[in-house]
Amino acid sequence: MSNFIALPKGVTEEDFTKAIKEYRALLGEDRVRTDPASLQSYMKIMIPESSELHKPSAAMYPRTVKEIQAIVAIANKYKTPLWTVSTGKNMGYGSAAPATPGQIVLDLKTMKKIIHVDEELGYCLVEPGVTYYDLQQYFKKHKMNLWVDVPAPSSMASPVGNTMDRGVGYSPYGEHFLFSCGMELVLANGDVIRTGTGGVQNSTSWQSYKWGYGPYVDGIFTQSNYGILTKLGVWLMKGPPPGGYFPFLMKFPKVEMLADIIKTFMPLRLAQIIPNACVVVNAGWEAAGHFTYDKNGKGINRETFYKGKGSLPPKVFQEIMDKYSVGAWNFYAALYGSPEQVALNWKYVSGAFKAKFGKNVEIITEKEAKDDPIFEYRRQLMMGGSTLQEFGLYNWRGGGGSMWFAPVAAARPSECDKQMRLATEILNKYGFDYVSEFIVGWRDMHHIIDLLYDRTQPDEMAKAYKCFDELLKVFTKNGWGTYRTNTAFMEKVSHSYGPEMRKIHYTLKRALDPNNILAPGKSGINLDIPL
Amino acid sequence: MMNTSRRAFFKTFLSAGAALAVSGTVGQTRQADASTQGQIKGVCLFVPTLGKATDFVDLMNKNARGDWTVHPLTGSLTDNYFTTRSLYEDAKGTANTFVGVVDPATFAIVHEAIVDCSGCFHYITYEDRNRVTFSVQL
Repeated sequence: MSNFIALPKGVTEEDFTKAIKEYRALLGEDRVRTDPASLQSYMKIMIPESSELHKPSAAMYPRTVKEIQAIVAIANKYKTPLWTVSTGKNMGYGSAAPATPGQIVLDLKTMKKIIHVDEELGYCLVEPGVTYYDLQQYFKKHKMNLWVDVPAPSSMASPVGNTMDRGVGYSPYGEHFLFSCGMELVLANGDVIRTGTGGVQNSTSWQSYKWGYGPYVDGIFTQSNYGILTKLGVWLMKGPPPGGYFPFLMKFPKVEMLADIIKTFMPLRLAQIIPNACVVVNAGWEAAGHFTYDKNGKGINRETFYKGKGSLPPKVFQEIMDKYSVGAWNFYAALYGSPEQVALNWKYVSGAFKAKFGKNVEIITEKEAKDDPIFEYRRQLMMGGSTLQEFGLYNWRGGGGSMWFAPVAAARPSECDKQMRLATEILNKYGFDYVSEFIVGWRDMHHIIDLLYDRTQPDEMAKAYKCFDELLKVFTKNGWGTYRTNTAFMEKVSHSYGPEMRKIHYTLKRALDPNNILAPGKSGINLDIPL
Repeated sequence: MMNTSRRAFFKTFLSAGAALAVSGTVGQTRQADASTQGQIKGVCLFVPTLGKATDFVDLMNKNARGDWTVHPLTGSLTDNYFTTRSLYEDAKGTANTFVGVVDPATFAIVHEAIVDCSGCFHYITYEDRNRVTFSVQL
């Protein structure tokens, strides 16, 4: 009987015992855990696979770059793979669990230094365990008028983790990798590199100039397993003056209006009149926010409205929309600048929508929204605030199952409309609901669909897997790439980008990590699996 | 008045929740022996949609006598995250049992709050798709 709950692939119990002994000599007993209770939290997944497929062998908690260098040396010696997480909040994308069983979770939440915040130029340099909330508290404490763009789990997620997975937020700085500047990484051979101008001795522009000199390499360290990121530069937005932030919501009554909504706002987005990563949210997503907010203490969710099998019939969706006064589509955006700029831009924005939709658009600003919790959650997100409200989605169907299907669309009205129809058809075929939002990028849409299902039911698990698989196949066939995915589907998504791309990913892996010790399986890059 | 299924839940919930000294696997802890009644100094989190505070207190004291404190998670999910962190940190020095009965959305947040305080779970169980019970090591 093994002393461990899992072993890395190809590593004997004897060798793993020796490796753990060396890790403990380095970090101490408390920071190298192999007991089941300590590892349980890394097995709490929401994807439709057994947690056995993602069971770690150990978890380690380094505090310094030097310790990480020493860890990779031991990892190379014993071939013990390291699955790195910063705060491990990748819920719906695999959480903190490794892609394959037996990996050691290298949990960097213990590296929590905010190394520098530069108010003058609006940037910061942080370690992996720093959360968005930590930064917000820092700004508050030091009376800095700075905003950090946040993803939905802002109170507990980290800029490092989210940026490394190329996550997005909701302010004008919503494309997180685009607004990062300068990385420090430990490579598999123990080298420490600083990207951009970070390699220049006494560099003064590491967080202010992105490109450095020669080939720009930051991109290859995102959504990859070529290095362990230990510091990241993040650009911060100056908060607008009082009266210079104007969030708003527009509600539309018909699903068929999606193309016209996009046709109306994209020119405003391209002209930077609407400068932020705004969102178009469907009725399901919007209503789910209310499922945690029943003021009478009564449990309300999807089952309250529909006890039948299969996806929600349209008339039930309508009933939910009517009850919570949500639109078939709900467009959240904001204007930023001086109060005068905002007032002028609002005339353009409200004028464009009124002209196009007339009485078929309901416009809500802070004045009308009052204390509406869902408006407040969006208001917070678009100004880099703290909220966890999005997780109300998990009460939609219950059972703890959630997978984000996240294809990208060019921001063309007909293309988004086609994606929406196809996704709805496939989800409904398997008995699931279409619960989605489009996050508007610079010229693209991140079409984020939450495939919500009951993990306690084996048949729903199987259906959810098949449904996701079909979504991926059909969307790929239509020329739509997936921008991010969960650990169950990383290999398949990787194949959807073609053999040449996989070949270059593998070539880089062999060059930078020939022993395959850094997060094998991340983004489908695993030297144990042939091309 | 609590229904029968809820009573049955509490019987299991409390015996497992009071597994004070057990550090075995997640699956094994549910069969763990309860501590001697009267020794429990427990904290229970719950969401009001799943019952009233008085019901929780009554049933806890009926099934496993001890000093129970119940905390309804009544705020937003954001509030619940920070409240749980605070309650768990406080409980580390003052209680010996930390359990909860919550909905799936709240559980997602509570789980992360406890993990972020370096907490470990004895067990996590979906009693049904809308109801999660858990017990955390102290």
